[in-house]
Amino acid sequence: MLLPKFRYHEPATLEETCEMMADLGNRARLLAGGTDLIVNMKKKILDPEHVVFLGRIEELKGIDSHDGTIRIGALMTVAEIAESPDIKTPLPALAHGASVLGSPLIRNLATVAGNLVSARPAADLPPSLMAYAAKVVLRKKDRKRQVPLKDFIQGPGKTAMEPEEILTHIVLDRPPAGSGAAYIKLGKRKALEISLVNVASYLSLDESDDSVASARIVMGAVGPTPLRATSAEKLLIGENPSQQLFERVGEAAGLESRPIDDFRGSAEYRRAMVKVLTERTLRAAYELARGSL
Amino acid sequence: MQQIIKLTVNDEEYELTVEPNRTLLDLLRYDLCLTGTKKGCDEGDCGACTIIMDGKAVSSCLVLAVRANGKKILTIEGMETKDGLHPIQQAFVKNGAIQCGFCTPGMILSAKALLDRNSHPDEQEIRTAISGNLCRCTGYQKIVEAIEEASDVKP
Repeated sequence: MLLPKFRYHEPATLEETCEMMADLGNRARLLAGGTDLIVNMKKKILDPEHVVFLGRIEELKGIDSHDGTIRIGALMTVAEIAESPDIKTPLPALAHGASVLGSPLIRNLATVAGNLVSARPAADLPPSLMAYAAKVVLRKKDRKRQVPLKDFIQGPGKTAMEPEEILTHIVLDRPPAGSGAAYIKLGKRKALEISLVNVASYLSLDESDDSVASARIVMGAVGPTPLRATSAEKLLIGENPSQQLFERVGEAAGLESRPIDDFRGSAEYRRAMVKVLTERTLRAAYELARGSL
Repeated sequence: MQQIIKLTVNDEEYELTVEPNRTLLDLLRYDLCLTGTKKGCDEGDCGACTIIMDGKAVSSCLVLAVRANGKKILTIEGMETKDGLHPIQQAFVKNGAIQCGFCTPGMILSAKALLDRNSHPDEQEIRTAISGNLCRCTGYQKIVEAIEEASDVKP
């Protein structure tokens, strides 16, 4: 398959990239890992006049963790996210999501930001990042803003990003002691698989009586964006965790999901699996939360 | 507009002019005539085009050649030395891990990337490492056995 022709740019700094994007706007596409963009260009779904490669920009790499905040550089590869102790220890649900994305060959190229800006409903990183209440940092010339990830992803392939903006970092609060999170992906194969359903759950416990202080449940592949199961979350607050409680919450999450029938599975099956995965991720999150007290 | 890039392929340095819309896979196959790297799906699903770039196994069909500027590339042609086949290649031959052979270069490079960072992987780690490389002949069992054997004799 031939790639369409385009003009190629390789800015060395973020500053330079902002200038370039202010000028080019939607005539340009940002290239990070290339695992989506290059394929879409080969299939002629996208045909940008300019391609701006971000891979030479050092400011977009690395993980910075201090004062209780974790800042993940947009260009961290999915393999780095899966393996880095700076992610694995504080954010195990994210590290796990990264370890089951695509295949090793894809993980070595694909970037964390790419998995967010592509805004696929079944993507592996948004659910856990939303469960951790992550925000994305968007830069353009003369402006920098932070947007909660749950508001950033707006629909299949649709985000709050403007054409001249660049996603530079993902920021989140380091989860406190007494909290835990887990992610489970259900697919038919172990590699190169698009989730049939995926769920990420986060819990924090009240140290005095082991009751749930806060909770976030995010369901993927059962709606146009990853969905928060807010009424299910409410059932947890103030309660003492038990298998019966988790089952009830799973039931509620299943009712809140909005799955469709397609060739991967029926809506009914997906709804049933939301229940199971919610229950399992809550159980795992609870174990971690208790272990960290 | 053509660009000049410099890269190292199998320990040889090259300076080339390329069009930005050329993939690294096409550069290797058509400009350098290194046809050991196979072109299968050309969209990152099959792993036939696996190469090692700066120590990481990647699908070369998803990498623009211009992006490989300054990188160190290893293809299947760089595995054999004057002393003969690489131990991983020998293990593939000995274990019957090759049938039609189309996936073999990619499999061997995925195996090398694994063994370079984990000299004694268990079966699950081996299966994960080659999970991006499709083989339609062998059923994978003999490939896994070959990699297991190669991990014992790796120089």
